[in-house]
Amino acid sequence: MQQVSIAVDIFIQQILNGLSIASVITLIAIGVTLIFGLTGIINFAHGEFLMIGGIVTWLAVSAGLGFALAVVLAILAVGLMGYVLERGLFRFTLERPTNGFIVSLGLIVVLQHVVVLFWNPNQKSIPRPLTTVWEVGGVRIASVRVMVILITIAVVALSFRMITASRYGRALRASVEDRDTAALMGIPVRRYITGVFVLGSALAGLGGALLIALFPITPFTGGTMVMKGFAVALIGGLGNIYGAVAAGLILGIVEGFSAGYGFSQWTDAYSFVLMILVLIVRPHGLFGGTSGPRMAS
Amino acid sequence: MKTVLKLAASAALCLGAFARPALAEDNIVKIGVVAAESGSFVSAGHTLPAGVGLAVKQINDAGGFKVGGKTYKLEMVKRDDRTDIATAIAATQELVRDVKVQAIFGSETHDFTLAMAKITQPAKIIHFAGNSTLAKILTPDSVKPGGEDHYLFQSEPQEFQRSGSTARGVLTLLEPLLGFKPKKSVMIVGNDATGQFLSSYYFKALKAEGQDVPDIIFYPPDTTDFSPFLTRAKSLNPDIIHFWYNGDSTLTALPQALELGAAKSYFLFGVDPGIWKEKQLSADVPVAMSCVPVCWGESSNPKAKTYFDAYFAAGAPHGVTSSVSLLYHDYVHFLVEAWQKADSFDPDKTVEALLSLHHQGVVSDDLTFNPTHQVTHATEVCAAAPGGDISCSMQQPPAEAPKS
Repeated sequence: MQQVSIAVDIFIQQILNGLSIASVITLIAIGVTLIFGLTGIINFAHGEFLMIGGIVTWLAVSAGLGFALAVVLAILAVGLMGYVLERGLFRFTLERPTNGFIVSLGLIVVLQHVVVLFWNPNQKSIPRPLTTVWEVGGVRIASVRVMVILITIAVVALSFRMITASRYGRALRASVEDRDTAALMGIPVRRYITGVFVLGSALAGLGGALLIALFPITPFTGGTMVMKGFAVALIGGLGNIYGAVAAGLILGIVEGFSAGYGFSQWTDAYSFVLMILVLIVRPHGLFGGTSGPRMAS
Repeated sequence: MKTVLKLAASAALCLGAFARPALAEDNIVKIGVVAAESGSFVSAGHTLPAGVGLAVKQINDAGGFKVGGKTYKLEMVKRDDRTDIATAIAATQELVRDVKVQAIFGSETHDFTLAMAKITQPAKIIHFAGNSTLAKILTPDSVKPGGEDHYLFQSEPQEFQRSGSTARGVLTLLEPLLGFKPKKSVMIVGNDATGQFLSSYYFKALKAEGQDVPDIIFYPPDTTDFSPFLTRAKSLNPDIIHFWYNGDSTLTALPQALELGAAKSYFLFGVDPGIWKEKQLSADVPVAMSCVPVCWGESSNPKAKTYFDAYFAAGAPHGVTSSVSLLYHDYVHFLVEAWQKADSFDPDKTVEALLSLHHQGVVSDDLTFNPTHQVTHATEVCAAAPGGDISCSMQQPPAEAPKS
């Protein structure tokens, strides 16, 4: 009986483990999926946006600011960076999204090395903003993980609300559906593109701030996270925000269980095998996605 | 005809200049370093140029060294391999063929070293690698004159020695802090070539010390969320979880392990007590740490403090694995001593001298290479009690590998 109880505790613990990392990945995936849906640009540097968010949080906390203020700064800084990069780089690639993809690959190296140049390549970490650990039965629940999950739920709910119920959301969805027609209807699509870039970047900034609250980061953390972010976006369906959230949860749980019960060294492989299977069976993802913006050639 | 002769003479002069050996230029001897100064192995990687650079400065500040009646100074030429094997190979080719170094130090990664040796050995370049894992290629046949690895030297003890001394030290230091003899161990290991290779030795070393090891849990490199792996380890109710072997990953995993209450005690391979203190880490259970080979934050080695004071004063950051620098620093001095003894830079004479010398280094007062070009010395292990007190001891390696 005690053995069964321990097994149940371990099972619940693995679900909780999966949910917290799923939260950060979901934040990346939403940004990736929104930017792709509207611009067709596959921004592989999105992971570096997340890393910059973590670095800003680290700098702010190291300077003596509280974690909450550091999170706000990370969101603003990365949002601003997204604005500058969209205006300065990506807007020139809108007609040829492949060029945007190549630009994003270059940005990965540039952003990583800028961080290394100024703040060295070593791990950066901050003191845990919340240190309480609750023990319920045999399950340990770290308050910092609960915080990450709750913030993500709140942000995702807000994003849903904005996209589904507001005038701006409807215009955004119309632009994703057909960019040229939306423009003909008077929607300022170019401004929406900038706005989505800023929103996606800000979410990555938030993801970075939450990530460094959980684990140390390095200038190279973004690469690993963005791969998972893209896997989630593809499993859910590129351009589909609901899909990104659902796939984020699926991926988090799959990773937790594969590490806990399967061949642990293949943890990352399970996620990508899942992605490959989904793309074969449902090329537009589990929940349907777009092939990028529709526009006149 | 005169013009033709002038052209021919100019061409000959140019060719002569290109063919000139590197050490003729202002009596400077170039030594190369290939290490990960970026990428996932940066923590250990940046200690290589720092350790070699310090030795170069010490030798040059002392006036250089004499060979064949001439005084020479050293110049370090370093290349970042970006934790990428193709970059390491390209860097080695450049250092050997273009820069024309006399010796190469690196890399910190086993398989990178194997690839580099394919370039350094045919070119007769003395090559020091701080890997514990070269036993398979450093055989009596391969290191004999004319053998394919005659100029390759392993500047870290063999893995059965390091694993053996580490396992013994960890268990010895943790037992009094736990208040009972630990019996069950779980290993958590990075799933790369080095992790797979090293873990097999450490597993055998733990078994040789009487440990029950029900699972070795491998995690993908670059993992940051260790909670699923730790939860799996917790389900086995271990007395000790051994984090083996990447210091950065270990520091990421430990707070998560403490949160989960995954074990009664922990061992962090390659984490220096100095980092433990600097990061103000604490644990409610005993935590053992080991350094490769000597710790900088707390040490039982009398020479360690002087070395690390100079090392950090030269600008090297306080790192998880700063002590790895000692796997290279001592061997720059060793190599210079060998050149002086041979009174020549001839690689064959240098190898002969290296094999005959007993060098007084920081790591040991009696550094020697065995006939298969491998060094032997003790490893330092420390343990932090739940109250924060840290105690350390040098653990001598076992004489023989445990029978599997």
